[in-house]
Amino acid sequence: MSRTDLGTRPAPRRTGGLRAGPTTRKRLTRGLLNLAGVVTLLAFAFPVYWMFATAFKPSRDILTYTPRLLPWPPTLEHFQQAVSRPHFGDFLRNSLLVTLSAVLLSLVIATLAALAVGRFDFRGRKSYLLLVLVVQMAPFEALLIPFFFMLRQLDLLNQLPALVLIYFIFTMPFTIWTLRGFVVGVPRELEEAAMVDGCTRMQAFRRVVFPLLAPGLVATSIFAFVTAWNEFLYAFVFMRDPDKFTLPVWIASFRTAFGDDWGATMAASSLFTLPVLVFFLAIHRRLASGLTAGAVKG
Amino acid sequence: MKARLLFATLLVAVLAAAGCSSSDDGGSQSGTGGSKTLTVWLMDGSAPDKLVADLNTEFQAAHSGVKVTYAKQQWNGIQDKLTTALASNNPPDVIELGNTQTAKFASSGALADLTGKVSDLGGQNWLKAMTESGAWQGKQYGVPFYAANRVVIYRTDLFSKAGVSAPTSLDQWISDGQKLAAANKSNGRFMPLYLPGQNWYFLSSLIWDQGGDLAVKNGDTWKGALDTQQAQAGIADYKQLFDSLSKAPADTDEATPQQFQVMAKGNIGMMIGLPWELNSAVGETPSLKSKLGAFPIPSHTAGKTAPVFLGGSNLAVSAGSKQQDLAYEWLKLLAGEKYQTRLAKENGVLPNSTTLAATALGDDPVLGAMAKGAEDGRITPNDPTWAAVEATPNPIKDMLTKILSGKASAADAAAEANNLITQKMAGS
Amino acid sequence: MGRAPAGVDPATAPAPSHGPAPGGPRRAVGATRRLPYLLVVPSLAAFVALLGYPLYQVVRISLLKLDLGELIRRETVFVGLANYRSILTDRFFWTVALRTVLFTVVCVTLTMVIATLVALLLERLGPGLRLAVEISLVLTWAMPALTATVVWQWLFDTQFGVVNWLLTTLGVGAFEGHSWFATGLSTFAVITIIVVWQAIPFVAITLYAGLTAIPRELREAMRVDGASPWRSFWSLILPVLKPLFMVTCFLSIIWDFKVFTQVWLVRQGGPNRQTVTLSVYAYQEGIATSHFGRAAAISVTMVVLLLAALVFYIRLMLRTQEDL
Repeated sequence: MSRTDLGTRPAPRRTGGLRAGPTTRKRLTRGLLNLAGVVTLLAFAFPVYWMFATAFKPSRDILTYTPRLLPWPPTLEHFQQAVSRPHFGDFLRNSLLVTLSAVLLSLVIATLAALAVGRFDFRGRKSYLLLVLVVQMAPFEALLIPFFFMLRQLDLLNQLPALVLIYFIFTMPFTIWTLRGFVVGVPRELEEAAMVDGCTRMQAFRRVVFPLLAPGLVATSIFAFVTAWNEFLYAFVFMRDPDKFTLPVWIASFRTAFGDDWGATMAASSLFTLPVLVFFLAIHRRLASGLTAGAVKG
Repeated sequence: MKARLLFATLLVAVLAAAGCSSSDDGGSQSGTGGSKTLTVWLMDGSAPDKLVADLNTEFQAAHSGVKVTYAKQQWNGIQDKLTTALASNNPPDVIELGNTQTAKFASSGALADLTGKVSDLGGQNWLKAMTESGAWQGKQYGVPFYAANRVVIYRTDLFSKAGVSAPTSLDQWISDGQKLAAANKSNGRFMPLYLPGQNWYFLSSLIWDQGGDLAVKNGDTWKGALDTQQAQAGIADYKQLFDSLSKAPADTDEATPQQFQVMAKGNIGMMIGLPWELNSAVGETPSLKSKLGAFPIPSHTAGKTAPVFLGGSNLAVSAGSKQQDLAYEWLKLLAGEKYQTRLAKENGVLPNSTTLAATALGDDPVLGAMAKGAEDGRITPNDPTWAAVEATPNPIKDMLTKILSGKASAADAAAEANNLITQKMAGS
Repeated sequence: MGRAPAGVDPATAPAPSHGPAPGGPRRAVGATRRLPYLLVVPSLAAFVALLGYPLYQVVRISLLKLDLGELIRRETVFVGLANYRSILTDRFFWTVALRTVLFTVVCVTLTMVIATLVALLLERLGPGLRLAVEISLVLTWAMPALTATVVWQWLFDTQFGVVNWLLTTLGVGAFEGHSWFATGLSTFAVITIIVVWQAIPFVAITLYAGLTAIPRELREAMRVDGASPWRSFWSLILPVLKPLFMVTCFLSIIWDFKVFTQVWLVRQGGPNRQTVTLSVYAYQEGIATSHFGRAAAISVTMVVLLLAALVFYIRLMLRTQEDL
């Protein structure tokens, strides 16, 4: 990978290329920066906006020769239709249960592993880290049939806990890798001080390291959350009863052999995206500080 | 503190998940206390909910102690789902399969042999092409469920304004279309016929109409037949229609975007589609309600209609079903006269029996046009390997795009597509 | 969010220039020697039980003829390396492999460059605009791949697309009725836009978080010394963020190499198979046509190719672990 040319060129051009009076230059720089900010905002927000806007458009306005930027007059029809699908409540409940359970499981087990590789140098540590890295290369679509064999043997087909296990194992390697960095970021002195005060090693972890890991746990959970929350294939193939599916299956259900209901698809997707936004806003400040600490270390 | 709260929530969630799933287990397993559960899978959109509910009530009344679990399946991803379901320890008892999918599952041993039941089901009256699609090596596995075929959906108001009527031959179709174009010259967006480049079902019609076919079996091996003189004539017909009447993209099919959405904008004179597409167009633009009609696809032989691809579904009992008799009884009810008549009326599809078609579809002009076209209904080569041809990348679609966008000659593109078909049908 | 970007927590902020890191692994002594092993046991057990078996199965299945019939009749038909032979002798496979590598290189390069720029930009924006950009990044990331791909396809649609309308209206040219999906290259361009667009938020947010952790004093010091922004990027930002670049780049490579949903949904590998990548190839040749043995063999080959390509990279990553 050409790591050396990463983003090196434009930076100086933006600020260094102008030779004018200091205040004019400053103002100009600020103006250019804001312009760049607005362009970035538009580039990322526009397709997202289009999703929300389409959700509010009457069906016949979804595709028009001259684009309609505003959903006018807006309609709630698609939202009503999406939410009134049979079993929507079940899907929502299943999605929340499966996603949160998988994330929790993943965090607990990954934290232990992260403590081990972040705090100790033990024999096999490197091989373990290698395993965690390599496992992320497995193409999960290709594991469908093998997972099917496994679930069939365990009699876990059509059981929600099967999805919990699968999403857990999909998200764990990444979680270990990231959390490890956070563990390293916690100063060892704090822990040692606690042990001097009479704590055992595990008590020191629990009382000192763990609270400091909170931002890291929250930060990694968003990755795990997005991954599990969006998974479609395994949920669709391994669940059978109509009340056992998850929200991604619900979103896909508006595309049928008898035409695609794009309004409802967009309304459903808009609703689907909101929890992630709420989650992000809630943890926003911790995400930035947490991620950094872990990631810079490794 | 926040983190602790989050953890508490997560913990509750896990416990709740465990609790829910264990309580669900009892409900979905069959055979508790002498009662039996029959699991039935139909595809989304195949039968109205009310119809299935009525049928289940009737069935459960006749078979006390049996509970029917009905699950509607989505087409999207259905092949993976059916594959794993049929290979599982308790497969669903009755399933619906697309008619071009049936041979593949029948040949793999996933479906119960119903050859002995054909006459009990009134099989002598079934649509011929559908019967054929449910059969494999002389045995009947699939029971025709319903079918539908393409018709030409047209704007009656624009037709009468241009002084043309439903054409009865290919040539007339083209000249009518040109008159339509002339009468609507002022509308820059107008096209007499919306025909995207990759409507390969329609191409099949034209090829069959010229006496050709998509692939032919020679001994044990299949070979692409797009380079035959007849098939080339059909391809030429497509190109002529596309060039003279359509401005639709050469590299899309009729579903991207959905052609009914395009027609609903009001700038299209005709499209080749299924009756539900007419209803969907009206759903988007209600003022079209009284302005849309349909006629069968005209043949190049004046006065005849072209053969059409019969799309549709079969019903089957899974070979692994533990209650084959009950499953058969349920299937028989749905494939029988009473519910077939209702299905045809309520969903606007062809019932499985030719004798029912006339009475069930009544005098609806659109469904009448469909039934008329269906008299010469055909299916794609009935072989388990055909599904691989249809699966993307469909070489027939790619061939059409190349020819229509002028990237290759009809002969060259057909030769390439032929190779791919032959290769795919060799099953390697 | 406050002006002080992402409040640098003294406990977790790194100290890049103050000698060895505060934490970091040490050789355990005495009673705690067993502890690390106890701590990795649950995750190791999970790997073995939940992933070990499926991975073993993939390899086993890759040596089988496992079509729909064998799967349903539960037959085991060993064919040795026949699946691998048929793939490796398929000329198209090698075209696809090369194409996938190129696609990955382009996507990852674009992702890393643009994400770095976005991260640098975020740091310099006012709080209001910054929050707005951040929210748009998160929403981009959270949007389901299916929905995102559909929206982009609409934007590039031949008849109703906003892009064609915009280009025509702005007078760039007559784009009315222009098909962006007529050629492989043009289709790939659209796919690349979709993939990169959705990959940037993760990298940008991570890098931005990394930037905010560089102590202000260090940067002030450089500015006082009269270092150009160019030099401060090279001599300060890049070295500090190096591990972060490596991790995000590594993950991006893996993700882009394997990406399926977007590539598949845009044109199912079309036109004329010109946008088939390895994951699409695995799907078309294996799953969609029910040749599960071959699908498994393709997957194994994919992982081997990826490993071979990344072996240096992984060694480098593991070596940077040593410093801790």
